Amino acid sequence: MSIPSVSGSGHSSDLTIGMAGSGGDGIVSAGESLIAAAASQGYHAIMTKSFGSQIRGGESSCRVRIAVDRIYNPGGVLDVAVALNWEDFLRFGAELPVGPSTVVIYEEKTGVAPDKLPIVGVVPTDVFAVPIAELARKAAGTDMAKNTIVLGLLAGWFDIAPEGIVRGIRKRFAKKSAELVAANEEAFRVGTEYAKSHPLRVPRVLKRPLENTGGKMLLDGNDMCAAAAIFAGCEAFGGYPITPSTEIMQFLTREIWKYGGTVMQAEDEIASIGVAIGSSYAGKKSMTATSGPGMALKTEMLGLATIAELPLVLVNVQRGGPSTGLPTKPEQSDLFQAAYSGHGDVLRPILAPTTVADTFRITVEAFNIAEEYQTPVIILSDQEIGQRKETADPIDTSQFKIIDRLKPTAVELESYNRFRLTESGISPISHPGMAGGNYLASGIEHNEHGDPTGSGALHKLMNEKRFRKLDPLKQRRDLFAVEGDVDADVAMIAWGSVAGVCHEALAIARAAGVRAKLLVPYLIYPIAEEVYDDFFAGVRVGLVVELSHQGQLYRILRSFVDVPRGVRQMTRNGANPFQPREVADELMKLASAPAQVRGAAASAGVTQ
Amino acid sequence: MTTNPLLVAKDFKSDLKPIWCPGCGDFGVVQAIYRALAGVGRPPHEIAFVSGIGCSSRIPGYTTAYGFNSVHGRSLPIAQGIKMANPDLLVLCAGGDGDGFSIGGGHVAHAVRRNPDITYIVMDNQIYGLTKGQLSPTSPCGLKTVTSTYGSFEQPVNPLLYLLSYGAGFVAQATPADMAGMASVIEEAIRYPGFSFVNIQSPCVTYGQETQQVKAHRSQMKSLASVGHDPANRMGAFELASHYGEELYTGVFYRNPTPPPTYDALFRGRQAELATKVPRDRILDMFVQR
Repeated sequence: MSIPSVSGSGHSSDLTIGMAGSGGDGIVSAGESLIAAAASQGYHAIMTKSFGSQIRGGESSCRVRIAVDRIYNPGGVLDVAVALNWEDFLRFGAELPVGPSTVVIYEEKTGVAPDKLPIVGVVPTDVFAVPIAELARKAAGTDMAKNTIVLGLLAGWFDIAPEGIVRGIRKRFAKKSAELVAANEEAFRVGTEYAKSHPLRVPRVLKRPLENTGGKMLLDGNDMCAAAAIFAGCEAFGGYPITPSTEIMQFLTREIWKYGGTVMQAEDEIASIGVAIGSSYAGKKSMTATSGPGMALKTEMLGLATIAELPLVLVNVQRGGPSTGLPTKPEQSDLFQAAYSGHGDVLRPILAPTTVADTFRITVEAFNIAEEYQTPVIILSDQEIGQRKETADPIDTSQFKIIDRLKPTAVELESYNRFRLTESGISPISHPGMAGGNYLASGIEHNEHGDPTGSGALHKLMNEKRFRKLDPLKQRRDLFAVEGDVDADVAMIAWGSVAGVCHEALAIARAAGVRAKLLVPYLIYPIAEEVYDDFFAGVRVGLVVELSHQGQLYRILRSFVDVPRGVRQMTRNGANPFQPREVADELMKLASAPAQVRGAAASAGVTQ
Repeated sequence: MTTNPLLVAKDFKSDLKPIWCPGCGDFGVVQAIYRALAGVGRPPHEIAFVSGIGCSSRIPGYTTAYGFNSVHGRSLPIAQGIKMANPDLLVLCAGGDGDGFSIGGGHVAHAVRRNPDITYIVMDNQIYGLTKGQLSPTSPCGLKTVTSTYGSFEQPVNPLLYLLSYGAGFVAQATPADMAGMASVIEEAIRYPGFSFVNIQSPCVTYGQETQQVKAHRSQMKSLASVGHDPANRMGAFELASHYGEELYTGVFYRNPTPPPTYDALFRGRQAELATKVPRDRILDMFVQR
């Protein structure tokens, strides 16, 4: 359940709506209309979509969470569930959880009796069988208006951004015909009227934002990442279509030319990183994006970027794995791959955004780190962040510093050594076209000048250089956030999209009187030991919450840091989203367990 | 972009000593490249020379150009990335037959269909030399090597036919047995505005067959001009190229008389057409809901 939920006045400041139907029902487009309307009226909102693996048709669903205050995850148990057809709805299982206080709205012609919903173990109090298709035909003359009826119902029962929805209908259908505008406006009105004549047992009117700040951005994480890349100065992108990252390439294909850049859809994942590496070698900021299977293919080239010391940003929008796995669902199971894939001694920085909004900062940071340290940097996003739509306040871009790679001076170019062994490990980098900077970039080990070598002594020096230059990253405390009671002995760690769930779980636990804190790392690797040591100091119990079977960050932490014995894993396979309430319950259980049981829980707590 | 008529072959020769075996055909190839580059006249710092892995892929390091000795089979994607980043550069790509037609074979067709202004030189010796004598994609069927002890089963690929059928606008062949011819065909390839390919029959002295040595080439080679071939005749080129492995033709099989626009020209056009004065920091404006 979203928090805070229903207030005594019958007003709600936070509503999560989940809808499912067949491909042609337009349920996702209803969600899009809803969130756009909410954004235009100054609400904070997050929308996630989920589809069956069919290209067309099949089941589709979306969740839209709309709130007066800033929110950080797509919400837990639904406040409102809309089923145009129960078979489709049930396919989404844990993605659309229904609880006793969920208002359930469904298509009457499914023939299901309101007291016999096919939801095991739950008896919702407000259930409405609505003749949605029939209302659509009556109002608009076509079944196609079913989704507009749904919007009307939602506006009627919950007062969700009605003005914005009508504006949206006009905008959307104006291009088509005046008749369509009128028909949909009528469908919306009919839906609203229907709701008003069938009141909820407990009214749940969505509060208006304190002031309509309006002007919010509405976008998904993939678009945010691509836009941030352009802001950071990216001028070359090589990509290959792969779910759920393709929107990054699609955005850049529309936009990058305007800024003098180039996009290539390459023939395969390997070529796409090759193109990005070539562009970087030629002096341009460059990027490639993919998901797990593509990342596997790019791995050899990543090693090349490391040894040739070329800046490169690689985005992995994680999905469920291994292999094809669950291409349309989020998971945090590619961390080992990001940190450890590839042969040889390699240290690659990994960053992870936690929301659509902070994807901007993280992407800019990735380019800055790549350029400053002449290294590939991996952004580990995930399907939820990449493809969820979220409102974001406009970003003051003037607060961002843009870092460019260190170029050799005229004096340095007189006797240029591309891989000069410097104290910092960073050596000025030239690029083709720069007179005097000529050098051989190579995947083979090389001396300071760049000439191939088989010398063990040189190999040692170069490895040390490539590791040394990344040392300062571990001091980047600005790439970590600590929330809550900083001296608490109850703690949580979460990264990526799960951090938003834990942010709200922390609020629930603290509201219940538990002193607790949360560490969110944006820099995932290298492990900043001191940051974790400081955070764990005095921690008695805690959770590392991750959306993967193994819990990969927890395992990496244990190889670098003394994780207190009372800190255990809370893990879950992808496509089974965490809910803030259950994380909070787990945390509170740990916090209140007596000392001797705590010890036992700790040793039994790690799932293997 | 500059040219300097005063540049001579030795301006392109680096101080690095080649690791090749004495008598390797690649010595001739690198000499021919020095001459061709001097003929073209672009200064070394405006040249990017990319290779993969293999004996021949060491070649960029032996020039004074910017070099990139990358990973096995991936020179073409990297070369295209360089061209994307800076179309003013002269971009050369080189490697062996294994690099280009086995591990990297998937990239060739796509490089050709994009038609960047890149010259791709394959040193084709029908053997894996660096790993000491294994079967290569151009090895003749039945060849006995350390990985085909009793003779291979596979038919060799025909690089010339591959490139012609992919649609390459310039396809040529050369051998170190004819140094002048090789240098001139490489220069011509570089000057061709679009993707150009030169297959060089570059003998491996250590693992190659007797019949594939420079000395043998001298008696085998036949210039395409001498057999009356018109390089504008694409179908004629197919016919002649089909004799790869039987006849050693040298010179230009095909030169597109009306070269289509290059990839570089097309993306420059798009950049010019779509160029915006809106600064990068306004990129997020499009997402604001009103």
